[in-house]
Amino acid sequence: MDLNLIKKLIKAVETSEITDFFIEEGDLKIKISKKTAPVIQSAPQYIEAKLPQTQNETTASVQASPEQKEAKPEIPAANLHEVRSPIVGTFYRAPAPDADSYVNVGDKVSEGNVLCIIEAMKLMNEIESDATGKIVKILVENATAVEYNQPLFLIEKN
Amino acid sequence: MLTIEDFDIKLETETFGRNFVVCDEVDSTNRFLLDSKEFDEHGTVVFAEFQTKGRGRKDREWVSQKGLNLTFSILITKKLKKINVNLIHFAASLSVAQALENLFQLNINLKWPNDVLVGEKKIAGILLESISKGEKINRLVVGIGINVNQPTFSGKFNIQPTSTKIELKRIVSRERLLSEILNILESNYRTLRKDPLKIMNDWRARCKMIGEKIRIVDENIDKYGILEDIDNEGYVLLKTNGKVEKINYGDISLR
Repeated sequence: MDLNLIKKLIKAVETSEITDFFIEEGDLKIKISKKTAPVIQSAPQYIEAKLPQTQNETTASVQASPEQKEAKPEIPAANLHEVRSPIVGTFYRAPAPDADSYVNVGDKVSEGNVLCIIEAMKLMNEIESDATGKIVKILVENATAVEYNQPLFLIEKN
Repeated sequence: MLTIEDFDIKLETETFGRNFVVCDEVDSTNRFLLDSKEFDEHGTVVFAEFQTKGRGRKDREWVSQKGLNLTFSILITKKLKKINVNLIHFAASLSVAQALENLFQLNINLKWPNDVLVGEKKIAGILLESISKGEKINRLVVGIGINVNQPTFSGKFNIQPTSTKIELKRIVSRERLLSEILNILESNYRTLRKDPLKIMNDWRARCKMIGEKIRIVDENIDKYGILEDIDNEGYVLLKTNGKVEKINYGDISLR
């Protein structure tokens, strides 16, 4: 089997309008299908997505993101963990305006690591990670308002 | 140094301050309790004669001369699910106000949400910090700084400071003040669960800014209006052009 050929085919499908592709040559059968899942564009829309759908949409967004298209194995939803806000308040990625962010996309975090601060009426609440893994997405802009239970981070669990 | 016996003899609490840690010097008493794996008992108090990194909100500095004032933090781990955590600001600042009134008959003015003033000068500040994991707040720390026997303050401040020494022109017992605050705070924390309205009413009765023209400022807010009231959830009700808006953050000052 020619791996390069397969990669080329995937690339070709990816850049085309085709959603399903099938080729048979002797014993070799290749089927490539492209999902046209909606990409989640901004956090506010995200808030509206209540529980069951949230997990699905999350997976969809990851599949549709560029780095995931490269014929990598899909990350099953079970491996993705959402860190949510326990309170209504303002989301801060750093302890002070001029300080470094607690975490960035790509960082490895362990359970108990501080990820951000949510300030609610001058109560500075540090949010600790409740999962161990890698930060794959930060879902909220710094210094913006967050709602109760709003997803803040996506963590790809180890 | 703080005389533990003088403090202990006046302490009438069940839990607050029963586990009492004294540090000669620590970075910040809040940080100490937030990070401590060793002390996790509800009501644990950490007292420091000096904080090397005493702070307020957004890492503003809290400056306090060694051995003259009160800088301490109380760990709260119980009943956090049953109360509105926002109201802890009001219970804490009210407790400091009531203690200063009881012992020294000071005329206290409370500034939203948790500054304790005498007139327009700041005598005490409070910083609330908590840690949550998942959907739960597990540890909440109430940090309290009170200017007691410090005679002068030099430097630039957001709000001009004062102390009991400046107001009363005498040295007072820090131990007595500390025990009084903890006695009242424990009782107010209980009231917060049963009758939060009582706490809010007692707090509002000491807020002289209600009805006044104010300015509210923060990173992405700068508004002028009339401080219509503080509602029962602790939000500022700001009236601008006949409309009332709920605000839950920012620094308030008289216009």
